[in-house]
Amino acid sequence: MAGPHYVADRADDVRLVELDGLTALYHRPSGTTHILAAPAPQILAAIADDPATADEILARMAAGFDVDGDRDALLSRLAELEAAGLVRRASCSPAEAA
Amino acid sequence: MSETNPEPEDGAAQPSRRIVLALGAAAASTVVTIKPALAQTAGSVLSCQIPVPAPQAAGQYIAQDGSLVAPGTPGSFPPAARPLTGEEAKVLLRGGTPVGVDSQAAQAYANYIRRLQAGMSGFTCYASLQMPR
Repeated sequence: MAGPHYVADRADDVRLVELDGLTALYHRPSGTTHILAAPAPQILAAIADDPATADEILARMAAGFDVDGDRDALLSRLAELEAAGLVRRASCSPAEAA
Repeated sequence: MSETNPEPEDGAAQPSRRIVLALGAAAASTVVTIKPALAQTAGSVLSCQIPVPAPQAAGQYIAQDGSLVAPGTPGSFPPAARPLTGEEAKVLLRGGTPVGVDSQAAQAYANYIRRLQAGMSGFTCYASLQMPR
């Protein structure tokens, strides 16, 4: 049930600018710019250069926020971030290997 | 993002208010990618980066066909010393050798780039190179 590990690029690889409730993100490796709404920036922060499963991501975000939503909602957000090239599945997943 | 805690009154610490973070409905969208104007695209393509191999495969060697193999595998080449820029990738894909890249490894690196898939580090850059302008 652990599922894949997700990881985002290091903080050095992105440039973030707050825009009145939204976040503009410049992704240096791809040279693309994205506009993010919550909880996307918080998800990226939770897994920047530190892979985690969906459950672990929920736990990390719960340490700083009152998270309103379930695992399925998080998986939908992760899928969007994957499609945008901002999140990828870590190739080496201890849980997957087990 | 930071939240200031109210000053304690009468010396009593007050609990900090926690921000509610809604994960949203499954159909909601929280990411919009900006399509740059053509001129800006050209600039982005030249400066975007393709690590060879991707960071999660750091240390692995690149075989002549672009696949990743164990370090020291005969006929394979060590990783590129630094991420390749979009401009360098264009040179590689044309069969050339960019300055600072091992000429013998160039073809292996070019094949690695051709095998990039969505979700892999550098794919967006590679896809940008393929877009007609």
